[in-house]
Amino acid sequence: MALPTEEPKHRRILYQLTWLAAAMSLGHHIDHLIRGNAVGWPVTSEVNAFTASLVVYPIIATGLLLYRAGRVGPGFWALVSGGGAVFVSAVHFGPAAVEPPELILDHYDPPILGWLAFTWLVTFATVLAITSLYETRLWWQQRQARPATRSADSEVTR
Amino acid sequence: MTATTPPPAAANQPVQPRPSGAPASGVGGALVLVGTRVALWLGVQLLLAGVLVVGGATPAGRALNDAAGWWMVYGALVDLGTLGVIGWLLRRDGRSYRHLLGPPAAGWQVALGALGVLAATVPAVAFGAEINKAFYGDATPPMLAVIDVPPLASIFSVLVVPLLAELAEPVAYLGVILPRLERRLRRSWLAAAIVVAVWAGEHAFYPLLTSHGSLDLGFAAYRAVSVLPFLATWTALWYALGRRLLPIMAARWVFNGGTAVALALGLVG
Repeated sequence: MALPTEEPKHRRILYQLTWLAAAMSLGHHIDHLIRGNAVGWPVTSEVNAFTASLVVYPIIATGLLLYRAGRVGPGFWALVSGGGAVFVSAVHFGPAAVEPPELILDHYDPPILGWLAFTWLVTFATVLAITSLYETRLWWQQRQARPATRSADSEVTR
Repeated sequence: MTATTPPPAAANQPVQPRPSGAPASGVGGALVLVGTRVALWLGVQLLLAGVLVVGGATPAGRALNDAAGWWMVYGALVDLGTLGVIGWLLRRDGRSYRHLLGPPAAGWQVALGALGVLAATVPAVAFGAEINKAFYGDATPPMLAVIDVPPLASIFSVLVVPLLAELAEPVAYLGVILPRLERRLRRSWLAAAIVVAVWAGEHAFYPLLTSHGSLDLGFAAYRAVSVLPFLATWTALWYALGRRLLPIMAARWVFNGGTAVALALGLVG
């Protein structure tokens, strides 16, 4: 059974936010590659957080197909965005960060490029968090609307 | 899980209702509000500096910096003035203060939303910490280091000022100014960008500090830049939460109140 769909405006915003997050993720991975100080497989033989983070692209691609088919809704995207926000924040800003801000700020010459890359990262993590909250709100509204829709359907078929 | 869900009966309504009809005061009211806040920040600090000099409490050359030590206390006057202007605008438009806070939400929804806002602000905190380091290394930023008030004023700055700040500042920028700019410009992103820039710019005025006999413009620039990621995040969250202000006000209260408590306890500064 396909999930109930959101209003067109919310679907459009959800798509836009998803593409924005994907583009920002790609940009951050390019930053990793340029710096070369926090990369893993397939660039090097080490499997690390960089390697694990690449899984986001097949997840997004699959999610977009399933969302288009109505098999997943905002709740799925809220989990993906929220999980991404937690992962990125933990890896870069958390108390046990494996790649603290210094690894970005101190590895560019001129330093302004390091600040640009760091600003990009902060914006990326913030976009993920805000997107997750937005999608959570849509998911909750959809949940609230479902019983109302069901009772309306049963009134019609009675 | 969200803090922003309208009650079930309203679930099919548009998520981001815009106020119907343009308010009588329009963008002019927004300008009055920003102007009042900046004028009050400047005026109250200068007035206090004058009082300190006339009272013989400080030499003229140090008066501005000594007055700056009270900025977390006299901020209450700025916020009271802001609330006065908001009340005046609301009376002109025939609207209520509650109307500015956005669609209704239950207490638990506001609390959960505030947690979400706090979590979403983590990257801005990390960015702010790096900006602090870039400007001042490991030293306490001047606007906190300069604080020097007696215990009673500390208690006031912990209990009253953060609450007043939340009732005034975000309501002014997100509840009053941003919707008016949106209506005028018809582009939400542009209106939001202007509001964030102006809101950050206002921070350059509190407190004013002097260094080597002239205004410390580096500090003013630091103030504006260091708050940019926070203000951008909260403005974006205002949209993400369906234009609801209460979760943002609650989260900001935790931030600002926490800072005031840390200062009062001597944990920073």
